[in-house]
Amino acid sequence: MTASRLLLLSGLLILFALPPQWYPQAARVQLSQWFGAAAFRPLPASVDYASAEAEVFCPPDLSGWRNERVIEGLTLPAVAGCVPDNPWSVATAIRGSNNVSADTLSKSGFTSDAVTKGRDLDGDGDPDEIHIRLEVVELNGASAEQPAPVTEYSLAPGIKPGLWVFAPKLAGMATENFESNLARPNLRLPSPTLRVEQGDRVYITLENTHYMPHTLHLHGADHGFVDSTGEGNDGVPITSEMPVMPGGARRYELTPRSSGTMFYHCHVQPHVHVMMGLQGLFIIEENRPDNWLQTINIGAGSVRHPSVAVRENYQQEYDLHYLDLDRELSAEIQRNNDPRLITRAMHREYDITDASSDYFVLNGRSFPYTFRESLIVTEPGQRTKLRVVNGGAKGIALHTHGHKFTVTHKDGSRVPEAARFPQDVVWLGTSQRADLELSSVNDGVSSYGAGIWPYHDHQYQGVTTDGIGPGGNISAIVYRDYLDDAGWPKTLGTSYTPYFTEEFYRKEIPVWEAYAPGQFSDPGSDWRLVLRIALLALGLGLAVAAVLPRRR
Amino acid sequence: MKPKRLLALFWTLFLAHGSLAQEHDHHAHHNMSVSDSGMVMYENKTTLPRGCDQISEDIELTIHAGAKYAENTPGMTFGMSQHEVRAPGCSRLTITFINEDQVRHQWMVHGLPKYLYSAGMFHLEAMAGRQVTGTFIVPPDDRTYLVHCDMAQHMEKGMKGQLVIGRGSGNLWSVRGVSDAFNRAPYLPDTTWPLAALALLLVAGVVTRLRR
Repeated sequence: MTASRLLLLSGLLILFALPPQWYPQAARVQLSQWFGAAAFRPLPASVDYASAEAEVFCPPDLSGWRNERVIEGLTLPAVAGCVPDNPWSVATAIRGSNNVSADTLSKSGFTSDAVTKGRDLDGDGDPDEIHIRLEVVELNGASAEQPAPVTEYSLAPGIKPGLWVFAPKLAGMATENFESNLARPNLRLPSPTLRVEQGDRVYITLENTHYMPHTLHLHGADHGFVDSTGEGNDGVPITSEMPVMPGGARRYELTPRSSGTMFYHCHVQPHVHVMMGLQGLFIIEENRPDNWLQTINIGAGSVRHPSVAVRENYQQEYDLHYLDLDRELSAEIQRNNDPRLITRAMHREYDITDASSDYFVLNGRSFPYTFRESLIVTEPGQRTKLRVVNGGAKGIALHTHGHKFTVTHKDGSRVPEAARFPQDVVWLGTSQRADLELSSVNDGVSSYGAGIWPYHDHQYQGVTTDGIGPGGNISAIVYRDYLDDAGWPKTLGTSYTPYFTEEFYRKEIPVWEAYAPGQFSDPGSDWRLVLRIALLALGLGLAVAAVLPRRR
Repeated sequence: MKPKRLLALFWTLFLAHGSLAQEHDHHAHHNMSVSDSGMVMYENKTTLPRGCDQISEDIELTIHAGAKYAENTPGMTFGMSQHEVRAPGCSRLTITFINEDQVRHQWMVHGLPKYLYSAGMFHLEAMAGRQVTGTFIVPPDDRTYLVHCDMAQHMEKGMKGQLVIGRGSGNLWSVRGVSDAFNRAPYLPDTTWPLAALALLLVAGVVTRLRR
């Protein structure tokens, strides 16, 4: 075929294939005047989304942990919410791991020296010598062999960033059992809330079970710069002490004279280590007689056995630990197994000044898992104490629906009565604490009545999980009438099915698919246009072949 | 052995054996002794595994653990004084596990028959600076069992070993002094890729010139 014929053929093909919607506006108007509008052609139909398999919203309480329990002479009240702490761990944290039966200790999971309680120094009926031992645990870390992370812990369906936590000292394996890759229930984010009494002689031994150096810093708590032996006691490598190396241990000590809601964290490369999760609430309760404290509150949240002073004014108490996490930082421990490569990646290549937060957690979980563990369950006329810390890099604007709370303490110090006012947003900068009084008296200010009232960070990234909402630190204040027997709220809105799928948080499901299937779904493809483009490509190819010089 | 086959072996040891043996679970013995020194779980001094007429040999071993045993191994944090234990089938092993660190460590064997060792494990845990001793009897078959410390990241960072019974059934990956890391980082100098590109261009240039 001659070049001119080929060119003619390609030109016709191009003219035929060129989609009319690509013609110049003026040409389209002119053509419309000659030939009228094109025939109706429906837009592509919506893609049919097979509904993904959802997890069980509220796992059944097979071990009866939610029931009222009498353990070691302590009556632990029933838990209204869905997933409670192990009651034997709670009882052991109150009595001391050195003071409970072998059976209780075994069911608690603690070692016998995890939280020991000694003499009653002031003779008021409760122990004042307290020794807590903490280990350092990596969750969702690298495996030397498997592609999946090991000692798995999920913030929300399918969300498993690498984390470091201080953990209570537990006997045995890190996983549920050998066939499982899941972290055992007491190994989790956040690091546990620690509770001691004003005037207690407190020892905290950091047993560094991790592969990097760490320390313990008691932020805001009354502690000496040096301990009784003259060793550094502030946890700061550049001013106080050498860090605790892998396999090593150090005992910190304090006898706090003032009470309040404080904080503890690692102080080695804090911009990385604290943001990986090495931080927890440290609470110093006012001294009272017979004040047996729940020294360790695993995963923060509901305090099953509040202190005497708290019970004087409140019916219940919750520890609320807010944190945000950077996905890029968390991924550094999953890429490599060699600690030298991890150290370089985390402490030199990672740059927090260029970082952004992706995950927003309350007590170590994001919505919808927050609804399993961190609902504030109340009933009309109750007073609830909330101890809040923001351990994240960003501030939080904590907001309650249906209620105005009062800030009674800031950073552990009492707010004078005259300075208190009902508010529905409190701003907490990084590491700030606030004690909130939440009243459910329906008076038009404190509470607007029974219901399911969300509480969350009102900064909008905080209610997402890597930009997908609803997620982040959303939880709710739920009145008992709105809670079913299993501890799940009787919500009136949308189905929770999509939120309990990994696909939703992988951004694979249209956000309103569950209740408006198809209406806001992804459209299918216009195959006729695809065909035209294929012909166009053929035509252009022929044209190029026609104009190129022929090989001799 | 090809990497794929070794990986299959790894998965077999990790997953299959445990679940296959689960049907025998109702025969399980659950022995556990706890002290301030630590814990011994699933100890078995007397019951012979199936296929064993008698104890073939009594073996006593002392194994030390701690960060000290990783000092001369680049890229490792924790370690043991020996990462491979060899024993004949039907032998009785008495292990004294000495922890030289100030934190807990474990010496756990996995994949043992569940009719004899519930959960398929023999488990020693020594508290900081303490030692524990435990005894167990191994089955007759040639097999390689995983030994490790099950604290988070301790296996990954050096505390992985193997127990080879008889001729064993191949080496596990990432056992220090025995087998390579399965996921080995590349460890390339920064100049590798530019130099490789340069070499490629040089070769291409020379060959083109020679062919003219």
